[in-house]
Amino acid sequence: MRTIVLVSMLAIALLSTNVRAGVVIIVNKSNALAIDQKTIQRIFLGKEKKFPNGSPVTAINQSPDSAIRSEFDETILGRSSSQVSAYWSKLVFTGKGVPPAELADDKSVIEKVASNPDAIGYIDSNSVTDSVLVIEIK
Amino acid sequence: MKKLLLASAIAAACGPGFVSADIRINGFANLTAGFTTSENVDGAGNTTDLFGYDDNVDFSNGSLFAIQISGDVNEKVTATAQLLARGENDYEADFEWAYLTYSVNDNFSVNAGRLRLPLFRYSASSDVGYSFHWAQTPFSVYDVPFTNLDGLRLDYTNNIGDWDYTLQLGSGTYTSEIGGGVADGEDVLLITAEATYESFKARLVYGQSNTTFTEPTTDAAFAQLAQISPVLADKIALRDDSGTFTGLGLEYDNFTWFVSGEITKVTGGESFSADDNAYFVTMGTRIGKFTPSITYEARDGVEDLKFLEDIAALPAQFQPAATQIVVGFQNFFYEDYALTTVGLRYDLDSQVALKFDVSSYENKIQDALDATLVRIAVNYVF
Repeated sequence: MRTIVLVSMLAIALLSTNVRAGVVIIVNKSNALAIDQKTIQRIFLGKEKKFPNGSPVTAINQSPDSAIRSEFDETILGRSSSQVSAYWSKLVFTGKGVPPAELADDKSVIEKVASNPDAIGYIDSNSVTDSVLVIEIK
Repeated sequence: MKKLLLASAIAAACGPGFVSADIRINGFANLTAGFTTSENVDGAGNTTDLFGYDDNVDFSNGSLFAIQISGDVNEKVTATAQLLARGENDYEADFEWAYLTYSVNDNFSVNAGRLRLPLFRYSASSDVGYSFHWAQTPFSVYDVPFTNLDGLRLDYTNNIGDWDYTLQLGSGTYTSEIGGGVADGEDVLLITAEATYESFKARLVYGQSNTTFTEPTTDAAFAQLAQISPVLADKIALRDDSGTFTGLGLEYDNFTWFVSGEITKVTGGESFSADDNAYFVTMGTRIGKFTPSITYEARDGVEDLKFLEDIAALPAQFQPAATQIVVGFQNFFYEDYALTTVGLRYDLDSQVALKFDVSSYENKIQDALDATLVRIAVNYVF
């Protein structure tokens, strides 16, 4: 019985992540790479300023009120948007960090990422165009 | 030198060349209403306040508005100025910080100007209510007369595997108004080490400075004492005395729940000032937009009376007057209290938080001063 419960809980967990996997990470087309979730977290929390291959990275965020932002914060960063914002408020007022620029929508993020080889952003999987590269999260 | 650094940081922040640079404007505001549930009357029948609060609702003590402007002077140099207006100072705006940051590389930076001393976990953001779960940071630990440094701070950040660490070295001077007087610190040296591993964070701090405290009544009393015994007067006065600060902080925060604490010791060298031992322990959980928490904090600033043998060595006719001053001042500055705070934070959105804190204050020197403090706060950050 316990195993069945565990299996179905796992199934639900997997299923729900699949359903929520609307967020994809995108980079410039010149930047073919695979990256793990921890590195993405470090980049978006300002702890890592370079891609794993050593080239500089510029993270592109989305508007704090957007649904995609809260989904990214919760699934990729593992905390609520309020917690992310509290995290940055600790750093911003020390000169220790500058939070990623916030763009209005998926379209603006795609434009920015397509034109900047250093950029990394996230968008809804339905918005993906062939001007950017979706990277696999290891 | 101090003024020069400050002036150059401000000039850099306001100069015409700066306007074309990439300027970032951030700000924060706290509006805090607080009151004690009954009048605070001490044993002698005098009405007193509790951390600035009394039984009338006060809106100014914990309230402030601030704007921070920073911009890149060039690829390596950033200028930051923070203009802050505190309710307790009638919202008179002041440059809380003004400094230049020179980034040697991604890991190492040199900061010069007026900046925050990295004494505590929340030192840098202790004015930014949004950054923590309380209405205000715990008084017993965070209420110290030295928060800002005029001078230099070196910051080094790196990681070893999954361990992130930060080392900070500060050096310079500080000046602050406290208890109607002025505390001056010279030759300040502060070393901070902080390490983060997943949900754990630990920090260690050690600092020292040569401290001088001047205040008219105090100075007059010590001048009087000097006529009896210059040696004793010099001992009891806080004048170029070597003080130290030691701190340890631990935190576990997995975003669902957290527990953290800080413990500090402040010594005032050979003077009327007793050593202060303070700590807080806090824990809470995040349930959706709500963060209920509980915090216990205490400060023990009482020790055995000092200089009694110096008084005993004086001629008998001078002893009563000397005792009055020497013992009186030590007693006056003794502190021994604890607070238990139950608080609730509500995240209205990613820029606004509401807080409701109720604290039970226990004065261990005078039971009559025990009180209940209620604070309601709105914190905004942009």
